Amino acid sequence: MYLMTAHKLMLAGFICVISLALSCDRPALTGNGVIGSFGGVGLASGLFNYPRAISVENNGAILVVDKAGRVQRFNPEGDFLFSWSMPETTKGKPVGLTVHNDGRIFVADTHYHRILVFDPEGKLVGQFGTNGDGDGEFQLPTDVAIDDDGFIYVSEYNGNDRITKWSPDFEFVKAFGESEVLGKRLNRPAALAIDRAGILWVADACNHRIVRFTLDGKVIDAIGHRGRGLDEFRYPYDIDIRDDGTVLVCEYGGDRLHWLSPEGKSIKSWGSSGRELGELSGPWGAAFGADNSVYVVDSMNSRVQIIRP
Amino acid sequence: MILLALALPIEFDEPVWLWLCLLVPLLIVTSRRSLAGLDPVRRYAALLLRSALVIVLACCLAGLQRVQRNDDLTVIFLMDRSHSVQAMQDEQEHFMREASKNISADDRVGVIDFARHAFLEQQPLKGGYVIPPGRFPIMQGTDRTDVAAALRLAMAIFPHDTAKRIVLLSDGNDNMGNLLEEARRAAADGIPVDVVPLHYKHQNEVYFERVIAPTHAQKGEQVPVRMVVHTDRATTGTLLLYVNGQLLTLPKESTALSLQKGDNTFVITMPVQTTGAQTFEAVFRPDDESQDTIALNNSASAFTFVSGPSRVLLITSNADSDSVLAAALESEGVGVELRDVAELGQFDLLQMVSYTSIILSNLSASNFTDDQQRDLVTYVKDMGSGLIMLGGDESFGAGGWIGSPVAEIMPVSFEIKHKRVNPRGALVIISHSCEIPRGNYWGKEMAKRSVDTVSSQDYVGVLAYTYSPGGENWEVPLDLATNKAAVKAKIDRMQIGDMPDFGATMKMALRELTVGRGKDAAQKHVIILSDGDAAAPSNALVQDFVRNKITVSTIAIGWGGHVMQSTLNDIAKKTNGKFYPARNPKQLPQIFSKESKVIKRPLIIDEPFMPSVLDAHSELIAGVDVGDLPQLGGMVLTSPKDNPNVIIPLIRPTDDGEDPVLAHWQYELGKTVAFTSGQWEVWGGQWTSWSKFAKFWAQVVRWTMRQDLPANFDTYTRIDGDTARIVIDALDKDASYLNNLQLTTRVVNPSSVTLPVKFVQTGPGKYEASVPVDQAGQYLANVQIRHNEKYLGTLRTGVSVPFSPEYRDLMPNEAMLRQVSEITNGRWLNEIPEEAGVFKHDLPPSESKRPAWDWALAWLLLPIFLLDVSVRRLASWLAFSIAVEFVVLIVLLFGMDFRYASWSHLFGAFVVAELVGWAVRFRHIGPFYNYLTHGVTALASTGQRSEASLGQLKSSRNRAKDDQQTESVYKTPLYETDESLQLSDGDAQQKFDVEGSRREERADKSKGVSLTDSLGGATNDKEKDAPRGDKKASENVDNEDATSRLLRAKRRARRDMDEDKKD
Repeated sequence: MYLMTAHKLMLAGFICVISLALSCDRPALTGNGVIGSFGGVGLASGLFNYPRAISVENNGAILVVDKAGRVQRFNPEGDFLFSWSMPETTKGKPVGLTVHNDGRIFVADTHYHRILVFDPEGKLVGQFGTNGDGDGEFQLPTDVAIDDDGFIYVSEYNGNDRITKWSPDFEFVKAFGESEVLGKRLNRPAALAIDRAGILWVADACNHRIVRFTLDGKVIDAIGHRGRGLDEFRYPYDIDIRDDGTVLVCEYGGDRLHWLSPEGKSIKSWGSSGRELGELSGPWGAAFGADNSVYVVDSMNSRVQIIRP
Repeated sequence: MILLALALPIEFDEPVWLWLCLLVPLLIVTSRRSLAGLDPVRRYAALLLRSALVIVLACCLAGLQRVQRNDDLTVIFLMDRSHSVQAMQDEQEHFMREASKNISADDRVGVIDFARHAFLEQQPLKGGYVIPPGRFPIMQGTDRTDVAAALRLAMAIFPHDTAKRIVLLSDGNDNMGNLLEEARRAAADGIPVDVVPLHYKHQNEVYFERVIAPTHAQKGEQVPVRMVVHTDRATTGTLLLYVNGQLLTLPKESTALSLQKGDNTFVITMPVQTTGAQTFEAVFRPDDESQDTIALNNSASAFTFVSGPSRVLLITSNADSDSVLAAALESEGVGVELRDVAELGQFDLLQMVSYTSIILSNLSASNFTDDQQRDLVTYVKDMGSGLIMLGGDESFGAGGWIGSPVAEIMPVSFEIKHKRVNPRGALVIISHSCEIPRGNYWGKEMAKRSVDTVSSQDYVGVLAYTYSPGGENWEVPLDLATNKAAVKAKIDRMQIGDMPDFGATMKMALRELTVGRGKDAAQKHVIILSDGDAAAPSNALVQDFVRNKITVSTIAIGWGGHVMQSTLNDIAKKTNGKFYPARNPKQLPQIFSKESKVIKRPLIIDEPFMPSVLDAHSELIAGVDVGDLPQLGGMVLTSPKDNPNVIIPLIRPTDDGEDPVLAHWQYELGKTVAFTSGQWEVWGGQWTSWSKFAKFWAQVVRWTMRQDLPANFDTYTRIDGDTARIVIDALDKDASYLNNLQLTTRVVNPSSVTLPVKFVQTGPGKYEASVPVDQAGQYLANVQIRHNEKYLGTLRTGVSVPFSPEYRDLMPNEAMLRQVSEITNGRWLNEIPEEAGVFKHDLPPSESKRPAWDWALAWLLLPIFLLDVSVRRLASWLAFSIAVEFVVLIVLLFGMDFRYASWSHLFGAFVVAELVGWAVRFRHIGPFYNYLTHGVTALASTGQRSEASLGQLKSSRNRAKDDQQTESVYKTPLYETDESLQLSDGDAQQKFDVEGSRREERADKSKGVSLTDSLGGATNDKEKDAPRGDKKASENVDNEDATSRLLRAKRRARRDMDEDKKD
């Protein structure tokens, strides 16, 4: 009888030790949907110095721009492929990056008040905009969106908080959102995205809301207010929309991602503040990847996390 | 053990401890007896474990280290960015880029660039050279080359576990630090320095060798200024001579020069008309600029101290008001020069020492640059001069002097310790991250600076957007600035994030200043530090600030060119604050001095009072009849310094203390005076008409004045490379040598840093000192001369370093580079990067040692100890094997660091532990097997056992009957029946007979060990054999009568008792 009890105790001990071994320090990879992470602090290829914008190319490759003024391309698993640098970086670095259907890459060169257009090899093929607050001028442009007809939409701030529309040949068409939009002026529109239905979603960051416009610039509605719950935002800095209409909002101040239905209803959120995997620190951008995965630019942690919550 | 260390990758820190291993044989001998009771296998296992225990312990004490050998290579490039090779940056970048191509994946590349300072541009990283062409930051301090600093930095950042190589790209013209010493250090560390020499030769060069002027002269004397110009080839040009910054008009024949190859000397003689330091600066302009490569070396300067009557400088911002004081001093025979602060121009230490004392009349700190404030301190403490600060609404604490270097040397503290100082000021700093390089660093420096300038009675708080959790936070909650060091430490720790908008933080500031801690403050002020790219606050919020009279000043940090000024300008304008576009960091101190004044109004007492005498023995008022001191109209509040040297002759008495009006003390060599009232037109109307006004001030000023007893000694100076030599020839009136003089020297470099310099007597009446001169500018020396403790006088001299030796380098210094390469066993590399072989793996592999004794202590010593106990105490092999298994598993799991191990490794560890466990219990597997199969066999044999049991019961009954028939008086003991039952059951316990049980009981009592009992294990083999013998005996039991059994039992008990006694 004693023998049996002792053996059982030892077996229980083993089980405890192994459970401990298996449970310790690897929760992020198992519990909360993180399926990978890449980057790290550095200037070498594949590392980041405070990444701020992300976009997924048509073939699934990922582009990330960081505060070293580099655009880096990675394969969907996060392996480094290629990079190029901005022509000038002394005044500041870009905060927005968008891939056109034809493969061209539009970079909001924020502190130079212009939009730069690169081909997929990183060659500068065009640019538009100069500093100012008139038509065809920018003050700190933040993001670019392109509709099905090739028209380009650019958000900007610093007194110019508005959206400007440009022809496919980079000719200024119109500006909108300058006056009050549903009670408040736009305050640092930080990101743009256009859904299948032709609605322009604008992350009105410092008003902590998402504003929807028609492509002609008419206001449809505004979603959310400041807060940490569902239907609430803290500094939404990026928006991406999947083919099925699901909207992904990246909250810079809330350290989380927020999924919205095509109608703008909150579905779920993910993330909390911190340094571990599965946690975010000042995320500036997020984008849908293949297989329902999401890439989130975890800026302060200088990495990109791949999640499938 | 040593041999083992040679074979294995381990080493010992102090191998002497390994002698402890000699204890092993001793242990074996002594343990044999104590372990005699165990069976041989356990005994040998225990001996082995004990020996291992001692060996591991010895290894731990000897400092066991793991040695890791690694073939990877780290190369750090040192890139020379000094002026002499400025044109060769592209070549250097090209070399580094090309040489780093095709390196193996595990090799690392680091880059350091250097001139006066060394900077790390690329951490040693895998993945090659990653700096894009032309992306090196702008280098400051290119006027010097400090290769040693770069070498030092490189050695500090090498990863410890790779082979190391330094590649030095330079012209070898090192003019700071000690390169060869650093090279020897690298050689000692086994780091070769490969050298890539940068070749150039300036063919056409003209430079000023030196300007020589006499160190001292008398006013009105003719002074010869000697100039030496060097040229590589004959050339012509123009000579310009500036005296105290004014261009001297000279006849054309003196200025149009025709130079011959080599050194050319010219002399211009001129009279000196003003006293004090006269600076002569000579500039040569070649007619054909192509004949000169480096323009920075075309000028040189020298200075002469011109003796004359001593003078005092009165600096003011209100010359009308202070002319009364100047006139009063003149009337008492004190020479005064009254100057408006706006017209000070270049006001450096050399200018200052022309005056024996300086008076600052109602001037705020913002009137002086940081350098000038430092110079004022040097002027007092090292040059032995005087400084008087007069009060006013712009002076002392109200003038932003709190926290400045000048505050240190004054006899009063500008901070108020009075509890009655009310109302207070409140300052909130909003810090935003800045996009420019080192923007956040400057943001923090400025925040700290502003904390310095507030009084400890003011509120201060810092707001910033920080991460984790992201958002606006009070990094320093608004509170009294009593512990500034703690506040500054908090600022240093801030991780300033990119603030999306100013509105959120401004709202927090507004709340705290209106309904929070700062609501009672009289002055409420907010400073925003930013590059301006956050979103603007709403108009309503800005109006709230205006309504609550909270001013907001904004400082745009952006000397890189990027400042979004419009938002910042707007905020400041609307809230009645000020907008400062700071274009370089040097502007910041003045901005803060101006800003801090905003919350300094409470320090001013604007009401008349009668000053009274506190210390009538003070030298400043001695002899002045102070019985009829007139009324003063106001003053600035200060508090006396807690120092016995501070003397306070005049005060303003109040209900709860005394406010200093006049205070003075000696500060090192100089003297300072604080007079906290002033601005005569407003506060001092009655004073200026006081009959003793002139006498009083003349006495005060005279007390502070430097005692210039000119020592009539010849002095001359000479610059020799990095060293200036000052020579003094000391003769007395009779022209005989003065020996054994005591010379107290203070030498101040152009950055106002006092250098440790000592004069040494090198001959009869000859004294020499060497001064390291590594900066261009004026070096001033103040020498106090004593002979046999008698003060003979003060001598001022100095040298002017015209330009850095960097601008004199016309060709590379290959000899120096070769020396570095030879000392470190480095190579002289080909300038063609592909052929340089920078990443050739021809260095011995690196060895990194990591202490392993702590690991051995935790994961070997403890398990071995446990095993040692188990092998002796755990009677059951099964239990022992489980213990072994457990220990092995624990050691493996922690040895591989299970948190980061893969699944396969974890599974492997489990399998290994199981294998070891099963190996131990292999011979004794039967009982465990029985235990596992007990249920099945029990079921299968239920029928047979029932029959057997019945049979046994029957036979028992028959035996009982037989016993009764023998009419025995004793009953058959019950245990025999039990025993027979147990035997047929086949249980382990059946093997123990009665005697065995008793023996066990005795063992338990004598040893107090309950492990066997509690674990239910078997005892040793002898004990196990016993039941077998007794079983046969029990078969004969029936044949023996009860009496004989009793007798046998009695004998056995007696024997056992005897044995117990022996024990």
